[in-house]
Amino acid sequence: MAFLEVKNIQKSFGRTEVLKDISFSLEKGEVLAIIGSSGSGKTTLLRCINFLETPQMGNIIVNGEVLFDGDDPSKKKDSEIRKNRLHFGMVFQQFNLFPQYTVFENLVLAPKLLAKEKIKENGEYRGATTYKEAVESINAEAERLLDKVGLSEKRDEYPCNLSGGQQQRVAIARALALDPDVLCFDEPTSALDPELTGEVLSVIKGLKSSESTMIVVTHEISFARDVADRVIFMADGVIEEEGTPSQVIEHPQSPRTQAFLSRFNQYSD
Amino acid sequence: MDQFWSVSLQLLEGFKENCILFGVTLLFALPLGLLIAFGSMSGFKPLKFLCRAIVWIIRGTPLMLQLFVVCYIPPLLTDGSFKFKERMTAAMIAFIINYAAYFSEIYRGGIEGIPKGQYEAGYVLGMKKSQIFFKVVLLQVVKRIVAPMSNEIITLVKDTSLARVIMVPEILKYAEDFTKINGLIWPIFYTGAFFLIFCGVLTLLFRFIEKKLDYYKG
Repeated sequence: MAFLEVKNIQKSFGRTEVLKDISFSLEKGEVLAIIGSSGSGKTTLLRCINFLETPQMGNIIVNGEVLFDGDDPSKKKDSEIRKNRLHFGMVFQQFNLFPQYTVFENLVLAPKLLAKEKIKENGEYRGATTYKEAVESINAEAERLLDKVGLSEKRDEYPCNLSGGQQQRVAIARALALDPDVLCFDEPTSALDPELTGEVLSVIKGLKSSESTMIVVTHEISFARDVADRVIFMADGVIEEEGTPSQVIEHPQSPRTQAFLSRFNQYSD
Repeated sequence: MDQFWSVSLQLLEGFKENCILFGVTLLFALPLGLLIAFGSMSGFKPLKFLCRAIVWIIRGTPLMLQLFVVCYIPPLLTDGSFKFKERMTAAMIAFIINYAAYFSEIYRGGIEGIPKGQYEAGYVLGMKKSQIFFKVVLLQVVKRIVAPMSNEIITLVKDTSLARVIMVPEILKYAEDFTKINGLIWPIFYTGAFFLIFCGVLTLLFRFIEKKLDYYKG
């Protein structure tokens, strides 16, 4: 059984069917790139996986644990969704950092709230038995993550004083601070000036390891080709083509994939 | 000179009433306004329409009329068996309801102006709705509403003189008494100084708060 299994996801807004029976699976440590034109449903799929949208049908299973089942109302309760969400991290197109907190505070806010709650409930949070102990390890982890995204010297700055690329790197560190099983990126470079996309993409590339499983919705075809283990091309709410980067990007079979990719190649070579 | 001081002290006595009305109105209208704001943003339709109707009625009629309604309708309805012992109580009720309606719209604007992404970022980080409101959204709302709030609160200072129409002994009433009893006109105009000073202090206070919240943008 695969690490992440997404089965038969169907999502409509009113009468518009945005996702029509989407299924895919992902092994631990794999990077999946989802490409496709605007309106093909890529972002909606990512939002469904993060429970920001509730699909009408389908299952989401991580590591054998059923996190979402369209037929099981108990999986749609707020408290259940909140708990299951922590299996996933999300990096948004618009960063969505909290403007009133410093970079460092952005990283530790959610983990600290969670630690307080968990210690109250179970007397334990990731090996720490007191809140103070938990905070120490949360802080240390935040420092480590800031170093990883190359922003240690910005730890006490407010987001408004950072460039878009730096803000997005903070957002990545913030998502990692909760140690999600699967990290999702929703067009992480689409809101950036072209000269800033490189720094963000190389941070994402640097995260690739046998432990980190990632889903990246992107328009950066060359990034998908270089970094992804698998590529999905979506069109009109269905998976039109799926495979390795070499299969989908270098040798697309479907005429729609070919047409989509040829529009990119027109300008890029 | 002696006369000036005794008039000043008398007017100050009257202005104390304005200050009490101001303080009590703020104390109750600020939280009540927040409740009305939540009501008018509620997904529960009847509550939403009720709150919006209240806001419409309160904002759509003069405060002076509302003072008359609060002060005189209860005695009329109860055939005179219920009367406000203190006219001030009636003034407070009218002011609290009136200002809560205005405040609620300011809150609503502030809350609805927060980008959806702030909530979503909180959700994907596993935060509860209440945590998102208090830890993420609230301070941003405060920052957004300081300017319109200060405007409204400064208006409230001057509106307190309207309580005069239901015979609350506030500063203008005292000044008029000087005219009627002592034949002095100038105390009427002198009252302006009290309002000016009070509003001046408030302006400085709000400027201070705005500066305090200026450490971040967005």
